[in-house]
Amino acid sequence: MSKNYILGVFDDEATLVDAFEKIKAKGILPVEVYSPYPVHEILIGMGKKTRITHAAFFYGLFAAIGILGFLTYAAVIDWPLRYGGKPFNSFPSFIVVTIVATILSITLLTLFTFSARAKIFPGKKAEIYHHRATDDKFVMVISKESIEKNEKDIQSIIKEHGEIE
Amino acid sequence: MEERFVVSNRFKLITYALMGIGVVSFALGFIFDAERTWANYLLNNYYFVSLAVGAAFFGAIQYITQSGWSAMFKRVPEAMAAYFPIAAVLFLIMFFGMHSIFEWTHEDVVQHDHLLQHKSPYLNIPFFFIRVVIFFAVWIIMSKLLRKLSLQEDEVGGMVYFEKSELYSKIFIFIIAFSFSLFSVDMLMSLDPHWFSTLFAGKSFIAGFMHANSIIALIVILLSRNGYFKQMNRSHLHDFTRYIFMASIVWGYFNFAEFMLIWYGNIPEETSWFVHRWHGAYKVLFFANIILNWGIPFLALMPRKTSRGKRYMFPVILLLIIGQYTELYYIIWPSTVHEAKFGLLEIGTFLGFAGLFSWVVGTTLAKASLVPKNHPYLEESIHHHF
Repeated sequence: MSKNYILGVFDDEATLVDAFEKIKAKGILPVEVYSPYPVHEILIGMGKKTRITHAAFFYGLFAAIGILGFLTYAAVIDWPLRYGGKPFNSFPSFIVVTIVATILSITLLTLFTFSARAKIFPGKKAEIYHHRATDDKFVMVISKESIEKNEKDIQSIIKEHGEIE
Repeated sequence: MEERFVVSNRFKLITYALMGIGVVSFALGFIFDAERTWANYLLNNYYFVSLAVGAAFFGAIQYITQSGWSAMFKRVPEAMAAYFPIAAVLFLIMFFGMHSIFEWTHEDVVQHDHLLQHKSPYLNIPFFFIRVVIFFAVWIIMSKLLRKLSLQEDEVGGMVYFEKSELYSKIFIFIIAFSFSLFSVDMLMSLDPHWFSTLFAGKSFIAGFMHANSIIALIVILLSRNGYFKQMNRSHLHDFTRYIFMASIVWGYFNFAEFMLIWYGNIPEETSWFVHRWHGAYKVLFFANIILNWGIPFLALMPRKTSRGKRYMFPVILLLIIGQYTELYYIIWPSTVHEAKFGLLEIGTFLGFAGLFSWVVGTTLAKASLVPKNHPYLEESIHHHF
């Protein structure tokens, strides 16, 4: 794997961001950057925009409406039954179920959406560039094709801030 | 990093004018409708004390969590907490209006009411004012102590003051949580002395905290519009919004939990409070309360774009200011005035108190450097970015 890629391994966020900006200034975009936690500069710098938050919001909206609708249909329209002297449409007690079930729906649907978009599925063989990527190291993967003649420059930039593996 | 807030003459004039409006409203109110005026007095008094308490709590948790981002703005909550001494005096003046506000102060009612007799060892006028004095004494002492450390830090520097402030803040939040819970029970829940709700104190506390957060953000936004806080960026605004957003959700949760359990349990002692508030204008206020304090902030402050821009935050904060008023009106009016009256008296007295509060905050901000000088997290705060 390392034949086609250069790996820059960094100890902390600041050095990673420094190196990233310098490499970007040369007009080269890394294939992928792995970090233990999200780094906003990298996210923006890689030109990646996530719409998963919007997806989650709409899942939540539709789940809430759907669950409330289902409870109303079941308890009021289809099979009205008096519980403890409460009216058929005991709206406040529906809300508790709605909140909990909405959270579950958002969590599962967002997970499935993410998995589908990232092409992750059970039994998939993991692509591991570096065994400590996303552990405690910040790893930048640069493809050799994109570098062309600048290889020396890139290597010196990485060495300045971290190490090459 | 010397940056001084100068109280402009225009600001002074406006606050004096507002205070004048307040004094005139109260004077006219006492002549025409004393009971309603005392209810107004209680509402506004509680309103601005809840802001001061919330601000003091905000300041304290910034120390405890060792937050970097807020170091630049810590003078604002400090200035809001400077309202305590004045509020103490205003609350003691309420002595003259106790009979107009609190049912349990009427001797003849208590004589015929077994439950009120049972509660009278706690709910009686001398002990009530002893509690008020104790609460305010503790709040004033603790907030002055933190303020003093903060000012000394400006002069001397070093980590000592920060560490001391952190220690005092840890003590302070326990005191605030306990005392403000009892305070809200005294001031608001005892208006209906037969009714009780265990969530009431928590709800009142989080309401105060939420609105204090929004007022802190409002003051910061207004100051930055007038050329102060030049290093403020959108990340700071985002953090303020997160505080408002978080507190708004917690408030919504508490408010709903309180209502839902009482509705479901259906015990007459507990439901009477809500039944009383379930017709006419109060029913509208019940929903307005939820929409203003939870619905609008929840939806409007959720997207990243709106939570980082002054243009979007400003109207939400204004609605929240109305929201806290709505909630207190909803709590106080049905048990004191018994009719949903709203007129010039309410507006005038609110403006008066708002003027007083602004004046206190403005003059306190002007007393020290607006941006603290030797705070250990100041650099982090200035370069805050995410």
